[in-house]
Amino acid sequence: MNSKIWREEMVRGWGMAVGGMAKVLRPTTAEQVADAFGEVRALGGAMALRGSGCSYGDAALASGGRVLDLSAMNQILAFDPIRGIARVEPGVTIRKLWQHTIAFGWWPKVVPGTSAVSCGGAAAMNIHGKNNFAMGTFGESVLAFTLLTPQGELLRCSREQNADVFFAAISGFGMLGCFTELTIELKRVHSGRLKVAAIVARDLAHNLQILEDMRGAADYLVSWLNLHASGRALGCGVMHRADQFEPGEDPEGLRYFDPALQDVPTSMFGVVPKGWLWPGMWAATNLGMVRAINWAKFKAAPLEARGSPYVQSHGAFHFLLDYVPRWHWMTKPGGLVQFQPFVPYATGELVLRTVIEECQKAKLVPYLGVLKRHRPDPFLMTHSVDGYSLAMDFAVSTKKQKRAQLWGLCQRLAEVVLQAGGRFYYAKDAMLLESSFARVHGAAATQQFRALKQRLDPQRMLQTDLSRRLGV
Amino acid sequence: MLWLLKMNKRHGTCIVVGASSGIGIAIARRLALQGRKVALLARREVELQAMAAQIDDSIGRSLARAYVHDVCKLDEAEPLFARIEQELGPVDELYYAAGVMPLVRIDEFDLAKDQLQVMVHALGCMAWCNAAARRFLQRKAGCIVGISSVAQDRGRIGRPGYNASKAAMDTYLEGLRNRLWRHGVQVTTIRPGFVETPMTAGLALKGAISADRAAQLILHARDRRKAIVYVPGKWRLIMFVIRCIPSVLFRRLSI
Repeated sequence: MNSKIWREEMVRGWGMAVGGMAKVLRPTTAEQVADAFGEVRALGGAMALRGSGCSYGDAALASGGRVLDLSAMNQILAFDPIRGIARVEPGVTIRKLWQHTIAFGWWPKVVPGTSAVSCGGAAAMNIHGKNNFAMGTFGESVLAFTLLTPQGELLRCSREQNADVFFAAISGFGMLGCFTELTIELKRVHSGRLKVAAIVARDLAHNLQILEDMRGAADYLVSWLNLHASGRALGCGVMHRADQFEPGEDPEGLRYFDPALQDVPTSMFGVVPKGWLWPGMWAATNLGMVRAINWAKFKAAPLEARGSPYVQSHGAFHFLLDYVPRWHWMTKPGGLVQFQPFVPYATGELVLRTVIEECQKAKLVPYLGVLKRHRPDPFLMTHSVDGYSLAMDFAVSTKKQKRAQLWGLCQRLAEVVLQAGGRFYYAKDAMLLESSFARVHGAAATQQFRALKQRLDPQRMLQTDLSRRLGV
Repeated sequence: MLWLLKMNKRHGTCIVVGASSGIGIAIARRLALQGRKVALLARREVELQAMAAQIDDSIGRSLARAYVHDVCKLDEAEPLFARIEQELGPVDELYYAAGVMPLVRIDEFDLAKDQLQVMVHALGCMAWCNAAARRFLQRKAGCIVGISSVAQDRGRIGRPGYNASKAAMDTYLEGLRNRLWRHGVQVTTIRPGFVETPMTAGLALKGAISADRAAQLILHARDRRKAIVYVPGKWRLIMFVIRCIPSVLFRRLSI
């Protein structure tokens, strides 16, 4: 593939609900990125940066514009197996990273629900995992990076050097420049497996109570919610807690340092190729079976809880979204949006209850709900709060009226969340309004970010559909 | 049941040559899990140290020790073998898993690459097996496991150097087996098919097994005192078919 020609391609968000045609270039080296920057600067145009394209919404899109796709810049430049520090190019996926490091007993400090995301994207969106309450966000595991600014300057940034840019470019959703290299710190694991326990949560209050009780001791906590349940059972679900093993606690886990044993299985019962499960799921979604499936899943939970704790490889526990490849195709043709409000601890229960009830009232119930605990972090445009988040997946209809109805609902919900001092997450968001931008981060942070943007990118060369929507 | 009795007698130190990745480290991990002391040998010091530390850390006992060694330095095999015996106690099992597979273009005839493969696969193996055989013969006990390859069965279009060097190793192991078996020393040749390892990372191998699964089959073959084992077993059939292809046809194929 010629890495110098911009190709006209359809570029979509991962949720497939938003997207458009754009000119795409896939550089393989930092020099080619610099060349592309120079070219666009000379043209006076705008472009968006894109990693693996796993943002649900429009964070890596530039409909009608240019997109610099960094997924081909995917070399692990160095890895120190004694200290667990990796130097990677931005397009290296989390999967490639752990496949390289797990053999030495190192695992990324923060991983999302799919290992397909790129390290550059993970830093730019400052993503979190199931251990946000303990380990913080992905940005906190980044020790340093090199940033190519839109004016063609290479900035070396760390907590000591160019600290203002360091804390803003991580979480800065690709607005300040392109990472050309990242230094990432990993964590030691003493076994290739985790100890996993399932706990049945009766309702929302019980769910939150478990999170509070366990967050001091557990390594990972995540709760699946059956959002169809109403009344007293509202917010019921299954909490999964996972803990790392201590040295010598799980000798058999030694074998699981073989990367091949960390992969999620590619077939079901050893026969059905999982790549072909999505049509079945598509049928289930479109036949209105989601409610029944959620109900059955909740009813089956006590069985899993009785078998707890059990052991699972790191990969099998973390990468639930990789179990069924292309699962999001089940929402075709409309696609899906994810709405994930972050709400402070104090008002958490009330706000989440309101949000779920509003969805049920509007008869637009998310087919999936995931509850997590979070803590604040030092990054300028962070989404994290000392509180909870509830990720809700909505299937989007192709009918204009229904789509508008969903967007309307989400905007109403966003208002509730913002009034409570909540936040949103740009890796997921697709509907936040311009007026909300300052309310999410506070006036001071927004001003500081805009000043940095003005300093590093006065021509406003880096733009995405997201940044235009928010009026960054 | 005889093999079960013999298996229980195993308690000496194991040497794994080529233990910093792939099948080598997988064998070393499984040996450590069986409670054996393991000497890990490989070129890359930092990686090797990390691997050894990880085995001890995971098991919670000190079982693995790293020895930096380049198999191309043939003279070092004998003194290093002696040093390992001195430090970890008598060795009764040797696993030779060192291997290289340089990228060779179809129109490339590079002597340096061929030489490296002959060094690592054939001469390195001979150096280590000689050091082991001398001792094992004296003690009338011990076990040598050599990781050859299915690639040794035919000379093929893609990697003549790899095929030839693995064939040299394989034949050498056979000779050694015939010499030593009558004295109670076991020599097992392993011919792995597609295995997911860093060496094969760039190749899209269909139906490849994990290195850990390969190690499991290899240790099973050791316990059963097998002579030549294909890993996994289906490769015996596949390679039988490939060996049956007459040269007049084979030279026209691109497999």
